[in-house]
Amino acid sequence: MNGSHARQVYLVDLALLNAAGSSPSDRYAAAQPAQAPTFKLDRLARPIATPRLAIDLFERKIQRSVEAQGLRLLHCAARLAPALRDLQLPAERVALTAAIPEVDAPSPCWDAVEAIREQPHKLLGQLFANTPPLHALTLLNSSVMAYVAEGLRCNGPMAGYCSQSNAGIDAFIEAVTMLTEARADAALVVSSSPNITPALYLREGTSYPDGTDADIYGEGAAAVLLATVAPLTAPLVIRVAGWGRAYSARVERAAALAERVLEQALSTERVNLSDVELLVADERDPILRELFAPAATPRSSRDLTGDLGASALLTDIAYAIGDSRHEHEPRSRYVLLMTRSRAGHCGALLLEIAKMEKGA
Amino acid sequence: MRAREVYVTGYGLVAPTVLDAQSLFQRICEKRSCVREHPLFVELGFPNAAAGFIDDQQWQQLRAGFDENPSAQPRQTVLAEYVAKQALQHAGLQPEAFSQVASGLFLGANKYCANSQDLDLACMCLDERGSLDLDRFLQRQERVEHPFARRVDQQTLHLAKRLGIRDHISTHSDACAAGTVAIGSAYRAIERGEIDLAICGAVELMANELPYYMFNSLGALCQKADVPAQQQSRPFMRDRSGFVLSEGAALIILESKQHAERRNAKPLGRVLGYANFCESEKMTSSSRDGSKYEHCMEAAIEDAGLLRYAIQHVNTHGTSTQVNDSCEAHALKRLFGDLLDGMTLSANKSALGHSLAGSGAIEAVLSLISLRDGVLLPTLNYDAQGAEFPELRFLSEPLKQSINIVLSNSFGFGGVNSSIVLGRA
Repeated sequence: MNGSHARQVYLVDLALLNAAGSSPSDRYAAAQPAQAPTFKLDRLARPIATPRLAIDLFERKIQRSVEAQGLRLLHCAARLAPALRDLQLPAERVALTAAIPEVDAPSPCWDAVEAIREQPHKLLGQLFANTPPLHALTLLNSSVMAYVAEGLRCNGPMAGYCSQSNAGIDAFIEAVTMLTEARADAALVVSSSPNITPALYLREGTSYPDGTDADIYGEGAAAVLLATVAPLTAPLVIRVAGWGRAYSARVERAAALAERVLEQALSTERVNLSDVELLVADERDPILRELFAPAATPRSSRDLTGDLGASALLTDIAYAIGDSRHEHEPRSRYVLLMTRSRAGHCGALLLEIAKMEKGA
Repeated sequence: MRAREVYVTGYGLVAPTVLDAQSLFQRICEKRSCVREHPLFVELGFPNAAAGFIDDQQWQQLRAGFDENPSAQPRQTVLAEYVAKQALQHAGLQPEAFSQVASGLFLGANKYCANSQDLDLACMCLDERGSLDLDRFLQRQERVEHPFARRVDQQTLHLAKRLGIRDHISTHSDACAAGTVAIGSAYRAIERGEIDLAICGAVELMANELPYYMFNSLGALCQKADVPAQQQSRPFMRDRSGFVLSEGAALIILESKQHAERRNAKPLGRVLGYANFCESEKMTSSSRDGSKYEHCMEAAIEDAGLLRYAIQHVNTHGTSTQVNDSCEAHALKRLFGDLLDGMTLSANKSALGHSLAGSGAIEAVLSLISLRDGVLLPTLNYDAQGAEFPELRFLSEPLKQSINIVLSNSFGFGGVNSSIVLGRA
C-alpha cells in the first residue's frame, strides 16, 4: 500500500548500539558468547552497558533520570545530530517517530523494586518522590521523545509506537509517509529494545515462542535520519523504494500475509523478488524462509545482537548497509528487509543502495 | 474536499460512574461530576482522595460482558472489549466486518501500573545480591497473571485477535495525547487509502496508587484537598490548582465514506483534520505565550482545509493545572483573536478529571454528540467572575445550539501536542 511517491526519501545517516557493536560493519563480525542473566540462569542474553550521554546535547540530569533503555536510544539519536545539523532545516520541518516498546512499565516498576530493597524503611511515596527514575515522566514514552526533540531540535510532526517487533516498521513507514506527503523535509526515526530485566521473561509468553533459540534477548537501540534529498558526501546513496505492512492474528494466514506484504513492497518500484540482491530477515522464521525459497536464504544480524524487538528493523538496515558488496561491487542494488512478529504483524521495506559516484 | 472522506459511524465509552456515552453526556448536561472520593485513596491515607474511577459495580458489569474468564485477563483488556462491543453495536457492525475489508486498530494506552503489594512481593523475592529469584517469585504469585508480565499493548493484541483486524494495529503511548493520536492515526490511514475501516481510541486505568505518587511528586495533582472532590477540577478558573486523576476508555468506528455508503451506515460525524507535533519546549508545560499550541491547532485546521473562522466550538485540553490552562488560553487568543466572541468552549475534564490517554478519545465522543444533537456541554465549576480568561466563552449551563465544526485539543507531557477537527455528518 505504497501510493505513488512524488518525493523520494533517502537514508542520510544511521546510528546503532547493541552487543555486536555500534557500526554497520560490526554486524559481520564473529558473535561474542551470550551470557546468562543473574536472575535467569537457564537462559542466555546479550545485554550491553548503559552508555553515557553527550552533555553538549542533553542536560546532565537526563543521564540520571532516564532509565537504561531510554539512554541507549538517546545515545543513538545524539550521534545523528551532526548529520541533521548539516541539513540546515528549520526545527518545524523535522519529524520525529519512535518505536519504544517499554520505556514505561514495567521497567520503572522494576526500579521501584530495587529501590524498596535498598531503602526498605522508606514509604513508597517518598521513594517515588525522591528517586528520579520513578517519577511520573518515566511513565511516559513521550518523555524520551521530548528529550530527543529538544536535543536535536526536531519539532515537526511526530508519531510514537509502543509494541514489540512491529513498532520499528510502523515508525519507519510513518516517517517515510510524512516526508512523501511533504509534512516534513527530514525525519528522525528512533527505536529501542526492552531492558533485560526479569519482567521481560515474565512477559514473553505473550509474544515469543517457547523453547527456541530465538529467545536470546538483546539490548540495543538504533536511529536513522531520513530526508528528501540524498546526502552529497556519504559513500552510499540509500533510497527508500517501497514498503508493505499487514496484520493477522490467524496463524493459518501467515504465509498469505507475508506474500501480500512482499508484493506491496515490490509494487511501487515494479520489481520482482529476483531483482532483489540481498534479503534481510530472521533466517529462522519458517514462513519467510519458505517465501524466499528457492531464490535465496535471508540473513540477519540477530545471531550477533540477540532479539532486539522494536529496534531490530533499524539494526538490520545497518546490516544491509554493511554488506561488503556495496563497496566491492559498486552498482545500484535492491535490498529487501522483512519482519514478522509472533503476534501476527508482517512488514517489509525495499531499499535501493548505490555507491556514490566520485565527484557527484 | 478530500479524495477520501472519513466518517464516524459508531462509538463506545466507559467513564467513571457511567457505562455508555449518552449517559455521560446527560450527566454532564445535568452538571453532575464523575469525580468522587476514591475508596482506595482514602484507605491508603492519601492527603487528597479525589479521583475519577470506575467503581466495583461498574466492574461487575464489565466483567459480566466479557466473553472469556475476566480474571485471566488484565482489567484494561476487559474494559477495551466492553467498549469495543458498544462501538460495533452502535455502528451496526459485526466483528467479522474487520476481517472482510482493509482494516485497522489504533489504540492509545500509557501503561499498566503495579501496586505496592506487587512491588513488595517482588522485593521479598530478591536474593542477597539483589537479583530476583524468578522461580520463587512465580511460586508466590497467587493471581493467574503476573503483574510484571503486563504490557502496554496487551489490549491492542487482544482486540485485534478478537476482531480479526486485517491490516494495521498499533499502540500509541503519547501520554495525555495518546487517545487523540490514535484517532488521528486511524483518520490518516483511511484518508490515505491504506484501510477502509478502523476502530480507534484509548483505554486508561491510572486512577491508581503508583500514578498518584508519580504525578503528585510532579506537583501536577490538585493541591486543595479541602475542596469537595467534585469541585476540584476547575479548568481555566483563577483558583485551579492541578488535575484530578481519572480513568476510562472510548473507542470510535471510522470508515471511508465509500465503505460507509456501501453498507448504508448512518454517519454520526466526520473527522476533518488532524495535527500533532513534539514541541519539546518543556517536559511539563508548553511555551508560555501559547505559540506551540497555536501552531498545532492551526495545522489541524489547515489539514481540514478550513479557515479559522469555520471553528465554532473548541473542546479544550483544559486540565485544571495552572500552566496548561494558561498556555492553552493564550494559544486560543493568539489563534482566534476576535473570533473568540462568536465561539463557545468546553473543558470536559471539569466533570471527568484527567484520564490521560483516555481523555482525548472520551472528549472526541462528547464532541461528536454535541455535533449530532446540537447541545453544547457546560464546564463544571466554572463561573465567569472567577475565570482567569473571561474572554473565553466557557458555558456554565448546557446550551442548545447547532454547530458544524469542533476543534478538540489534547496536549501531553513531554510536549506531545495534538488537535483534531470534527464535523457534523
